[in-house]
Amino acid sequence: MKRLLRYIARYWHRYAFGILCTLATAALGMAIPYLVRDAINAIQSHDYAQLAFIVKLICAAAILGGVARWFSRFVIFNCGRDIEYNLRNDLFAHLVKLGPDFYERLKTGDLMSRLVNDLTAVRMMIGMGVLSFTTTPLMWVLSLTVMLSLSPRLTLASIAPYLVLFFVMYRLSRSIMERSLRVQEGIGAIGAKIQESLSGIHIVKAYTLEEHQASQFRELNHGYNEQGLALARIRGVLLPLINGAAAAATMIVLIYGGALVMAHHISIGDLVAFMSYLVALAWPTTSLGWTISLYQRGKASMKRLNEIFENTSTTMIAEDGALRLEVTGEVRWEYVSFSYFANRNGSGNGAAPAYALRNIDVTVRPGEKLAIVGRTGAGKSTMVKLLTRMIEPTVGRVTIDGVDIRELPLGGLRRTVGVVPQEPLLFSDTLARNVAFGRIDATPAEVAEAAHVAGLDSDIAMMPRGLDTVVGERGMSLSGGQKQRVTIARLLAYNPAIVVLDDALSSVDTETERAVLESLGQSVRGRTTIVVSHRASTVRDADQIIVLDEGVIAERGTHEELMARRGIYAGLFHRQLLEEELTRY
Amino acid sequence: MEVGREEKLARVRELTLLKRVWGFVRPYRVPFWISVILMPLNTMFALSQPYLVKLTIDLFLDPRHRPAPAWLRPTLHAAGAHGLLAMGTLYIVMLLGEFATFYGQFYLTMMVAQYSMSDLRTALFNHVERLPMAFFDRTPVGRLVSRMTTDIDAISEMVNAGSLTIFNDVLKLFTIVVIMLTFNVRLALWTLCAIPPLLIMVNFFRVRARVVYREIRERLAALNAYLAESLAGMSVIQLFTRERESRREFDELNLRARESLMLANIYEAGLFSWVEALSSITIAIILWVGGGDVIRTLISLGTLVAFMEYAQKFFNPLREMSQKYTVLQSSLVAMERIEALLQEKPIPRPATPARIVDRRGSIVFEHVEFAYRPGEPVLKDLSLTVEPGQKVAIVGPTGSGKTTIIKLLTRFYDVNAGRILVDGVDVREWDLTELRRTIGLVQQDVFLFAGDILENIRLGRVELDDSAVRAALGRAQALRFIEQMPAGLREEVHERGANFSAGQRQLMSFARALAYDPRILVMDEATSSVDSETEHLVQLALEQLLSGRTALIIAHRLSTIQSSDRILVLSNGTLRESGTHQELLDRRGLYYRLFELQYGAAEPAE
Repeated sequence: MKRLLRYIARYWHRYAFGILCTLATAALGMAIPYLVRDAINAIQSHDYAQLAFIVKLICAAAILGGVARWFSRFVIFNCGRDIEYNLRNDLFAHLVKLGPDFYERLKTGDLMSRLVNDLTAVRMMIGMGVLSFTTTPLMWVLSLTVMLSLSPRLTLASIAPYLVLFFVMYRLSRSIMERSLRVQEGIGAIGAKIQESLSGIHIVKAYTLEEHQASQFRELNHGYNEQGLALARIRGVLLPLINGAAAAATMIVLIYGGALVMAHHISIGDLVAFMSYLVALAWPTTSLGWTISLYQRGKASMKRLNEIFENTSTTMIAEDGALRLEVTGEVRWEYVSFSYFANRNGSGNGAAPAYALRNIDVTVRPGEKLAIVGRTGAGKSTMVKLLTRMIEPTVGRVTIDGVDIRELPLGGLRRTVGVVPQEPLLFSDTLARNVAFGRIDATPAEVAEAAHVAGLDSDIAMMPRGLDTVVGERGMSLSGGQKQRVTIARLLAYNPAIVVLDDALSSVDTETERAVLESLGQSVRGRTTIVVSHRASTVRDADQIIVLDEGVIAERGTHEELMARRGIYAGLFHRQLLEEELTRY
Repeated sequence: MEVGREEKLARVRELTLLKRVWGFVRPYRVPFWISVILMPLNTMFALSQPYLVKLTIDLFLDPRHRPAPAWLRPTLHAAGAHGLLAMGTLYIVMLLGEFATFYGQFYLTMMVAQYSMSDLRTALFNHVERLPMAFFDRTPVGRLVSRMTTDIDAISEMVNAGSLTIFNDVLKLFTIVVIMLTFNVRLALWTLCAIPPLLIMVNFFRVRARVVYREIRERLAALNAYLAESLAGMSVIQLFTRERESRREFDELNLRARESLMLANIYEAGLFSWVEALSSITIAIILWVGGGDVIRTLISLGTLVAFMEYAQKFFNPLREMSQKYTVLQSSLVAMERIEALLQEKPIPRPATPARIVDRRGSIVFEHVEFAYRPGEPVLKDLSLTVEPGQKVAIVGPTGSGKTTIIKLLTRFYDVNAGRILVDGVDVREWDLTELRRTIGLVQQDVFLFAGDILENIRLGRVELDDSAVRAALGRAQALRFIEQMPAGLREEVHERGANFSAGQRQLMSFARALAYDPRILVMDEATSSVDSETEHLVQLALEQLLSGRTALIIAHRLSTIQSSDRILVLSNGTLRESGTHQELLDRRGLYYRLFELQYGAAEPAE
């Protein structure tokens, strides 16, 4: 809440203006029933001049009130929009600083729901909430003052239904919100089921699960119907309740007030004024009850947003401008061990942490090429993540030019070490902008050159708009191999001092991989290069090859040395040659 | 002329769409018509209240007492001195009537909308599930999800709020006008003066708001899409130190969204305030014109008050009508999209499926031709035979048509020429369900459903009990790792099986096939390498899976290839070499060369 108040404080003058307009709206609005009373009294006393004067006043109050209402509503609502905008920006700015451990804990779906639904709830609280909290009490004070001055007895009798309305509304709106949340979840579950069944349609068809899936779907729909109707049951009460309260109040005025008129305690004008006041109070009173639950929900949502803000990742990036560091390019993993569970609190149930890497000591001299091979899960990618500080070693340290990378500015480190990650993640933007992703100022010629080296020329020639073709969501319109080559081009445009390829070409055939690696090798000649591959056959020219097996270095040396050993590497190499041979035919 | 015809066509199209919707509402026509009847009743109850107020004022409060209307006299006579209370009771009756009819109408329409749209959704799901694979190749799943959720919601809104309440609104307005005219023509006409400025403003805002709302939808969608993509690709953003640029881009989208949202607020607040102001001005007019009439005793004071109350009830339906028209429009657009989906043709099924006499599990491809896209043939004149009980391995480069063979066999697609026989019968003449019950499929990427392990093996066949599932998992070598899990068979499977390793998923897919127990097994062997222990388990499980079945395997492992009865070497959609392991060796062709290479690998280095 404190955080939210800081945002609100930023717009205090606009809020002040909005609230001022609100007060004017309420005052002018409450003046009208009083004027109606005077008009009726004037009619009763046959006073034309007085009537004409009052009618003019009503028109003036209506127009002024309309303008004030207009301002108050959009000024206050737009403050809400502004705060929402700022909060959203700040959340995003914070999110880009958080490291992979955060994203492992909170999934994209959950984060999205916070940034969409919770943010909306907060905005409603500060928009509708402020408006309703300022208008309604004032309207009550003003109208009660007038009504009490006209007839205290009638006032007390006639506002009784409103007290009931207010408390019932307060209770109802809470269960309405709970039930609408459930309806939202219900349709969400239906969407997820459709998504799942149709993504796995090949399994559905192959195992003749159509009926099975349909029956599960029907069940979900039944549940959703129940939720929908549960909501309808109480929502249906809402409007009659409000109208009912107003009408009940009117009825009390009519009967009890009528008796008072007959006894000449009050005038007919007073009676009409009472009726108008009560009708005018119906909606604001309702919305106040509603607003209280808005406030409660908004508070809970703000708490969920605060949870994001309170996360400080271990690898929070500093605002250091991300300049490429001047390095010779010597990289060393110095007796590094790493466990994914070591720095995770609460999961340590006494068992020794399972190490993904154990006692890795590897040095890559400037300009050399290191190859890391091994099976899936051997720890290859973990070594790469350590080098970019996506994770930090449990034991030991990683150095560049002899300096512990934790002592280097993080932005500078990442500007210096360029990675082509295993999963070719692209963004729904043009091909050119995907290539220039890490260097927005890259010239078109540089982009084209990068694409050329990555072997994309013939692919681009086939695309409708060449480099300006928009790739679908997450690069959906490209094949796996094309995506991987775009990520290579992206790295080339980034132009890092140290190049890391993390099994970057697994989806292209061996021949293409070899060709791309060769042209890549020429354009990054002289730079330290680290290549991770599960294919032994594509790394034979490396200066140094290490074979990882279950987190330890099982073999190391040059291709020739390792082949002579006839160990794991030689086995892998032969197997792959054969399988390639088989699939190549 | 042309425009007129087009409009007529659009009308006809709209009518067919509405008929389609009605088809789904029809089963619930009883509550539907009840709710339709309740609507005018509700209007009647609501509109009687100002009239009662008028009578009360005229009969009891105005010093110039007027005679009561004939229908009320007996009641008042009976009430005697408690005339005022009698009026109050009448008022309460009307109020309760309004309450009950509103609630009934609201709940019934909600019920009809909920049930009929749930039926539509289920029908759509059933339909889509049975569409051919080619449909899914060209349709992103996300689009289908929004057809069945967002679009149906739009139609639902029309069913429960849009369509019929419009008639009720019109009826309500009409009734109010008639009541006012019967009270006093001159005052009624003056009161109605408020309508043109109201309509002009509503229209003015509606036109602008429609543009802004479309903008809002687009801009929010862009903003959220960018957000989702950034969250999913955060590691790339950070690795390429693009934080600042991403923030700038996000801010730009955020700003654009805010801009339209704020504009919408200005319009909305404007319309709202205008309506409020106008209703107060109308009261002023009534007081001015009517006040004079009261003074000249042309009308009663009660009539004046009733006019003010009726005028208040005038504005809401007018304001809402334009809103409802928009709902109607958007739901028609949604229905049109759904209609297009319903028009997609499912896989043709034989009118009378052939009876399968010989059930031993043979496969024959006879001169099969197939292309996903015209002019790009994938299989060319392919013929092959798999005898019952044989295990056949297919090898060949990517794009040689290996996977296509599997897809044709299970009738995911139909051949362009030639035919495929399973147990001697053309697959197109098989009962589709029976065909797929006969052929078990194990695919490279294992798809697991969210749920638990048990459900994922059973796949809806309740007759498989725990012990049967356990047996299948045991034979698939998967029982050991599953029993180590806290919940065992009931261990939760996350979306797409994300909480299991590739190897574990593969073993589970074997267990699934074992539980399915098909006569023919078709398998696309996984290429991804797994750790050595799992690799061993996979080998064992594979033996179990293949025993006693006809099997067609797209093989990637050398061991699988060697242990098969026959090997088919595929290239460019045609069969290049075929034979048993020994035959191929004797032929001294490609296979021989491969085998030699492997043999050479065991020899001392060159």
